[in-house]
Amino acid sequence: MNAIDKYESVIGLEVHAQCLTKTKMFCGCPNQFGSEPNQNICPVCTAQPGALPVINKRAIELGVRAAIALNCEVHETSVFARKNYFYPDLPKGYQISQFEKPFCTKGKVVVRFKNGDEKQFGITRIHFEEDAGKSVHASHGTTVNLNRAGVPLIEIVSEPDMRSAEDAGQYLRRIHSILKYADICDGNMEEGNFRCDANISIRLKGDPKFGTRVELKNINSFRFVEKAIEYEISRQVDLVENGEKVVQQTRGWNSAKGVTELMREKEQAHDYRYFPEPDLAPLVIDSKWIEKIKAEMPELPDAARERVKQAYGLSDYDASVLTASKELGIYYEEVVKGSGNAKSAANWVMNELLGRLNAASIEIDKSPVSSKHLGSLVQAIESGEISGKIAKTVFDEMMTTSKDPKVIIQEKGLVQISDTGQLDAAIQKVIAANPGQTADYKAGKVKLLGFFVGQVMKETKGQANPAMLNDLVKKALDK
Amino acid sequence: MLNKEEVLKIARLARLNLSENEVSVYQKHLTRVLDYITELSKVETPKEAFVRHIPGDATGLREDSVKVFSQTEALLDNAPLKEGQSFLLPTVLEQE
Amino acid sequence: MDITAHTIQSLLDGYQKKEFKPSEVAAAYLAQIKKTNGKLNAFLQTREEETLEAAKKLDAKMSEADSLPLFGIPVGVKDNFLVKGWQCTAGSKVLEGYRSPYTATSVEKLENAGAFVIGKLNCDEFAMGSSNENSAYGPVRNPWDLERVPGGSSGGSSAAVAASLCPASLGTDTGGSIRQPASLCGIVGIKPSYGRVSRYGVVAYASSLDQVGPFGKTVWDASRVLEAMAGNDPMDSTCSKSSVPSYTKTMESFSLSGVKIGVARSWLEGVDPEVKKSFEESLKLMEKQGAKLKDIELPHAKYSLSTYYLIAPSECSSNLARYDGVHYGYRSKETRNMDELYSKSRGEGIGKEVKLRIMLGTYALSSGYYDAYYMKANQVRRLIQQDFEKAFADCQCIASPTSPTTAFKLGEKTDDPLTMYLSDIFTLPVNLAGVGGISVPSGLDSKGLPIGLQLMGKAFDEPTLLSIAYQYEKLRGAFPLPKGLN
Repeated sequence: MNAIDKYESVIGLEVHAQCLTKTKMFCGCPNQFGSEPNQNICPVCTAQPGALPVINKRAIELGVRAAIALNCEVHETSVFARKNYFYPDLPKGYQISQFEKPFCTKGKVVVRFKNGDEKQFGITRIHFEEDAGKSVHASHGTTVNLNRAGVPLIEIVSEPDMRSAEDAGQYLRRIHSILKYADICDGNMEEGNFRCDANISIRLKGDPKFGTRVELKNINSFRFVEKAIEYEISRQVDLVENGEKVVQQTRGWNSAKGVTELMREKEQAHDYRYFPEPDLAPLVIDSKWIEKIKAEMPELPDAARERVKQAYGLSDYDASVLTASKELGIYYEEVVKGSGNAKSAANWVMNELLGRLNAASIEIDKSPVSSKHLGSLVQAIESGEISGKIAKTVFDEMMTTSKDPKVIIQEKGLVQISDTGQLDAAIQKVIAANPGQTADYKAGKVKLLGFFVGQVMKETKGQANPAMLNDLVKKALDK
Repeated sequence: MLNKEEVLKIARLARLNLSENEVSVYQKHLTRVLDYITELSKVETPKEAFVRHIPGDATGLREDSVKVFSQTEALLDNAPLKEGQSFLLPTVLEQE
Repeated sequence: MDITAHTIQSLLDGYQKKEFKPSEVAAAYLAQIKKTNGKLNAFLQTREEETLEAAKKLDAKMSEADSLPLFGIPVGVKDNFLVKGWQCTAGSKVLEGYRSPYTATSVEKLENAGAFVIGKLNCDEFAMGSSNENSAYGPVRNPWDLERVPGGSSGGSSAAVAASLCPASLGTDTGGSIRQPASLCGIVGIKPSYGRVSRYGVVAYASSLDQVGPFGKTVWDASRVLEAMAGNDPMDSTCSKSSVPSYTKTMESFSLSGVKIGVARSWLEGVDPEVKKSFEESLKLMEKQGAKLKDIELPHAKYSLSTYYLIAPSECSSNLARYDGVHYGYRSKETRNMDELYSKSRGEGIGKEVKLRIMLGTYALSSGYYDAYYMKANQVRRLIQQDFEKAFADCQCIASPTSPTTAFKLGEKTDDPLTMYLSDIFTLPVNLAGVGGISVPSGLDSKGLPIGLQLMGKAFDEPTLLSIAYQYEKLRGAFPLPKGLN
């Protein structure tokens, strides 16, 4: 038995998601990244003396949306609290967050796996907080940019319900998908608009007690989540197998080296001195407001899957793949619109496009082939303009050049030949060039039909309409 | 009486650099005030009692509409050091 | 009549009669400041040119004077208010040279009412203190006796009005910082109900206790300023949206007859006998006019000092974290890393008493102590609040001395923090309960130093509180101003 198989890992995730509001959490500054540093700042988000916070109503609504989408209990009264610590990106010297009384608790999310399995993971709580600024280290000093300071965040804390890196990865994708479907967060991980920390411990299988946990900070892409967690699990297993102890600490993922590295030990843990934010009254979210937010809820992934399944006659699996993310769902439906054929559109998106994108680790919104172009490619096949085989050549070209398929077909003269006269001419040419085979065919070797079809295809550089070709070749030979 | 280490620990949490002399002064003064304050432990307080200091009809939540603060320069002008449009810290090094 | 001898009421009258123009009034006060401020150290900053310019703009609006309740009134502003373009040090070295990028809502409202800023006033560092000896810019002296303190933390604000360097001023009151100095300087100071005046643009000390209020020579003057700056502010989530009645309109016709005034006798132990005597006389005066005295109990008020010195320092430890040398303010020169930058900037920039309170609060909030200290204090605070609610169910106001003593000498109480803290025992509970309070001069002691009467009113019942104070003031008669300054 492999050492690692003796152990079970216990994983919980903390997701920070920026809310898609027009303004910051506590002031009217635009919630956007200007190209110039410190353009979207004011007395409040730079913590000038005397400045006070006022809660952004929209941020609360987006938070409640998340609570509803993640099946949480929303509390009528919740309390903002100050989390005190010194950091150059945190101008007040404290972050306004929620601590003892978050606005919602006890949620759950169901995650589907490729093999069709479903698992449910608990959500401990969601709370509001504000983002910090950004500092950039340079040789002559550190510059501090507060454009991001005060941007509204929700933190979604899961139960320690995950048992593998794959669980965690799928959970994270699911949360990401839900937040994007509900227009709560743009989900951009590169810019840090959607971030994730993981708490990881291991224990012997069957042991009811949790092991010592390690906090893994700032994993900034889906690709790294599973890698980082896998690495950390094996690091902990190695420690225990070698008779050492896992130490409670905070570690960071070094993607260049592919390892987790120590950030700080528990003894250096902060004493945040949380206390209720005296500048803000308790937040009241009454049932009337919740109903209104529910009524305005955009379509969520489960609903999208069902709708797509019904509308386009797809299998459950295909529908769930095609609605795995909001972008993909939109992309697919645009291909359907452009092509007029839902099934072909599904095949092309799932088999050709996603295959290539996944292999190259490209997200759908960065796809070199636009939904409009893929739609017209599928349409060209459906109308008989090009053959399926040619379509693959065109698609290759589209992947590298992002060109319109119509342009590629034109430029390369790839239009399918369906003109009987043109095809007959090619057939006659092939018959004339192969007298031996022609004689054999006529003598009864009908299997040779395939040979002639192939030769004609070659002669027409693959552009011959395959649906017509068999009949025409047969007719010509049988004459 | 708070000992020296306790005073230093508090000062470190509060990021206050104290001189030797200050440490002993605060040792005395903190202890003096904290000793006085222990009288509160004798007061019987209902568990759920917690003060609400904000009037019930106070300013509510804010609509999500942009209000641009036009004088960002004035904010940057107060910086001990700045570079272009950024607050600048001296070549500083390790952060926690 | 010398312009600086005026009250707000008589200045407004003079404007109406076109006896003088705002620019003349501004010039007169600026001249007075120049002449006298050296002795008092009340003003930290004046900007003659800008002030005269603002006053001249008002000169052109003489015809609109009627529609502006504070037309042409110069107001001194405590140096913990932000006024765009002016410095704001809050009495601290850590904010030396800081120029306000915006204006506090309260000041803006006064300007909209026709007032203009005459200067920034000295105070205890970050409004922490009861004698104004904690200012990084030197102590303020009491105009009644230059060897004595003016009270604090708004010592500059009270000394300036008492010495006629401005007809009105603004202060902040977290535990008595308006009422106690008003009492020690023989003028009127109001601490409105929590949430009555916006705190936006006022350097925070303890957010749940801080409140902005005015100083004036008379109840009418102070009330006039208050009614102009009170009211809602969308920038302050703790500020009430309820409308502001005109206090000055109703106070004249108010009658003390049948008004119930609560007195907590047990409170009066340990009060200076002369202060106590003056207090009893004040009560008798009101009784003669038909007011009914009622013995009340405020059983938890005796814990106010302990409660206050947990809650205020806790909030201050967090509120003052922003003074870290990163984005503005003092930065220590020699720092090797981020931690040193914080600790040295704060260690060098922040003064003695403020450091003590930051450490007290840091301790009270720290892991393991929160429940016993911060939490407990808030629970006791609730009981104090309930004491007041009960008392007010049966009386319109509560009376007490403002301060247990008259002005003490500089240096007299600086060695022991608790001795100093005890000068606020009558004012602290008012902040903890969130109700309103006013200090009105009630007499002079045998040394010729002013004594103050504190009246406390139900939350947001300023109309009644100020009317009672106004009627009391009328009964008391004219109150002298300090002599021999010039």
